[in-house]
Amino acid sequence: MKKITNIITIVLFLAILFGLSVAFVAMPDKSYSENEKRNLQTFPEFSLEALMDGKFSSEINEYFADQFPLRDAFVSIKALAELSLFKGENNGVLLGENETLAVRTFSIFKDRLNRTDNMDHFYNQSVVRQLEALNKFAAEKASVPVHVIIPPRVIDVASESFNYPSNVSVSLDAIVSTTLSKDLLIPVSPVLKEKYSAGEYVYYRTDHHWTTLGAYYAYVEIMKSFGMEEDIIPRDKFTVNVVADDFYGTTWSKCGFSFVSPDTMEFWSLGNDDKFTTTIGERSFSGFYDMSYLETMDKYSAFISGTNDITLVESNYDEERPVLLLPKDSFANSLVPFLAQHFDLVLVNMANRMTNISAYAEQYSADRILFVWNAENLITSGNLGNVN
Amino acid sequence: MVFSSLIFLFSYLTVTLLLYFTLPKKWRNAVLFTVSLIFYGWGEPAYILVMLVSILAAYLFGFLIDKNRESNKRKAKLYMVLSLCSNLVFLLFFKYCNFFIENLSLIPFLSSLEPIKDLVLPVGISFYTFQIMSYTIDLYRGNTAVQRNFVAFGTYVTLFPQLIAGPIVRYRDIDDQLITREHSVEKFSEGIRRFCAGLAKKVLLADTIFAVAEYFQSLHGIQPTVAGSWMIVICYTFQIYFDFSGYSDMAIGLGKMIGFEFLENFNYPYMAGSITDFWRRWHMSLSTWFKEYVYIPLGGNRKGLLKQYRNIAIVWLLTGFWHGANWNFILWGVYFGALLMLEKTFLLKVLNKIPKVFSHIYALLFIAIGWLIFFFTDMSAGWSVFTTMFGFGGADFTTATVNYDILRNLALIVICIIGSTPYPKKLYYYLVKRFRTIEYLSPVLTCGSFLLCVAYMVDSTFSPFLYYNF
Repeated sequence: MKKITNIITIVLFLAILFGLSVAFVAMPDKSYSENEKRNLQTFPEFSLEALMDGKFSSEINEYFADQFPLRDAFVSIKALAELSLFKGENNGVLLGENETLAVRTFSIFKDRLNRTDNMDHFYNQSVVRQLEALNKFAAEKASVPVHVIIPPRVIDVASESFNYPSNVSVSLDAIVSTTLSKDLLIPVSPVLKEKYSAGEYVYYRTDHHWTTLGAYYAYVEIMKSFGMEEDIIPRDKFTVNVVADDFYGTTWSKCGFSFVSPDTMEFWSLGNDDKFTTTIGERSFSGFYDMSYLETMDKYSAFISGTNDITLVESNYDEERPVLLLPKDSFANSLVPFLAQHFDLVLVNMANRMTNISAYAEQYSADRILFVWNAENLITSGNLGNVN
Repeated sequence: MVFSSLIFLFSYLTVTLLLYFTLPKKWRNAVLFTVSLIFYGWGEPAYILVMLVSILAAYLFGFLIDKNRESNKRKAKLYMVLSLCSNLVFLLFFKYCNFFIENLSLIPFLSSLEPIKDLVLPVGISFYTFQIMSYTIDLYRGNTAVQRNFVAFGTYVTLFPQLIAGPIVRYRDIDDQLITREHSVEKFSEGIRRFCAGLAKKVLLADTIFAVAEYFQSLHGIQPTVAGSWMIVICYTFQIYFDFSGYSDMAIGLGKMIGFEFLENFNYPYMAGSITDFWRRWHMSLSTWFKEYVYIPLGGNRKGLLKQYRNIAIVWLLTGFWHGANWNFILWGVYFGALLMLEKTFLLKVLNKIPKVFSHIYALLFIAIGWLIFFFTDMSAGWSVFTTMFGFGGADFTTATVNYDILRNLALIVICIIGSTPYPKKLYYYLVKRFRTIEYLSPVLTCGSFLLCVAYMVDSTFSPFLYYNF
């Protein structure tokens, strides 16, 4: 009796050990993971030098993990194991109702070097310093009206879907509304939260961005703050095209919960997209969308072809339209189809430390400036503090 | 190389087992010696040389000690001391040199002393140095015979299962196994079970609870809370046990696979009812080593109470210092030395009289505080956690986030608590006795947990590039 179980143990163990070893050697290497959106480690180059300083061995460790057979399956197994311990999250991603995913944001510490993942605490002084830099910029530097919109994180908007304390969201909101000057801030959280509670699809479940519907509500608030309430295009004027029903966003890529169902993505149109041209450096295309991204994992980048340093969106007709300068992150990309109906747009990628905004305002003769900078970026990068 | 890595399991171990069991029997030690050197040199190849010099010195001095042991005791002693020195000099240089320089440079007229740059501690040097010393001393004492076969001696020192983190195997415990050892289905499968259990302890428990400890430690830097600081200490307490005992289990398991029997290193240390008891159950191979080669030669407990206290003090200063060249380790050693003396004087008698549950709580509390000292090489950071634990400094008791994160990890902590006791094992044996078929669960559990460990290892480098979200 005893003997049999021993033999079973040995056979099973050796089968796994040798099976995976052989599979590892036999399988061809992949150089890119679309799921994780990064290059994978391929077999490292061998040199005596690399061997002696440990570079070779550290790269080969990565090589093993990156090219391991059944990698995605193992990642999912780990995620399920974490869930079965009632952890409710994996790799810093919370699993909420209706398969909604939210990231626990990492935080920057006082010394700005020490970064910890998934803390979801923010450092007050850093946030305040950045908001005050915006106040100062509006008061002293800018010669045109300045507005700021801070798109909330999924965890802020969808807090009711998560068994997660909302005190951080609340205090972040409070700091923003007390520090940022009243005429700058375009409050958008209350509307989005209200719509979310009413069951509207304002944020993707598997991505950190707002949906096109969410962007529409933000557009309405923006127009109100601009004093252009009469110009707001009613929702029913738009034709809604579902362009993807298999969209898995960045949050999904991180969490390993492969059972979560995908999001759908919509483009809203007034039927006049071809009246506009998007220009990125030397390259330009008609309308607002780079459809090639819809074939990839990174579908959100279909909006104005993703993140680029300077993007211009202009009307093809020589009408005199006001120019709106947008120092922004990717949340602005899905606002473009709405705002472009009223303004010629200049989008400046602030993530790439392009913070000399007054120079851009002058260069492009901006009539208004709208900062679009989401709450997660506010917490995790200090970029806004350098605006001038 | 570490056991809990994909490269170890799916190339090193595969190839090693294949070579070991397919090549002719007489080459087995040579195979082990060679693969062990590769195992050792994986991260820092240059240090193979350091280790080989140590091995060679002890091997050669061994002949001289053996030759003079009967005829010229003084000469034999001289060779023993030389041999020990030739080993210790590397340990002193690599591990302690900079510590001494840094502290000496605090003295005004020595302030020009500068630490040696880029001095990296060779992996496992504290362990293999002690193993080599056990050979030299036992040989001098006549407790073991000289080893004439260099490959066999080299295999003893470098044997990859215990090379990096013990157990510290005394030479005389395995000298005959170096020549002949038994391989059997029973032993090999027992080795697999033991290895997988250790791997699970390390990957599923130690590493995950360590992440929780790190999280709460970071939180402490932003917003200290009483509950959060207790979590730091509790998580570190479990992490070190499952990490270290998991490593020993893996070593013992791997040893069995290739025919060796190593002595046990842990015996449910958190079941201890006193600190004295704890140190009989924790890292037993180190305690044995110090007892045998330091405490007893100093006179042990046979020369009066005063001398005994002196000997305890020396052993625990050395034990602390052995764990690391930093003041906190010395403090840690002194802390346990002092507790042991207190227990010897009167505390043990008290502990034996009170209900078991209280003595257990006492032991766990002082063990946990010990780990607090152990973990914080920055002693002011450790002090800050310590004071917060007991409500000083005006920290809140808890916050909503702290509660959330405690609840989230509660199941893991409960598993760690249960895993620190002998009850799961007892339950298993009880069930097997009642229902024979339960036995068939064993291969499934073993290989299932192995696969789960692989999943966690694959995921640990699963690092999507997500900061393109601007």
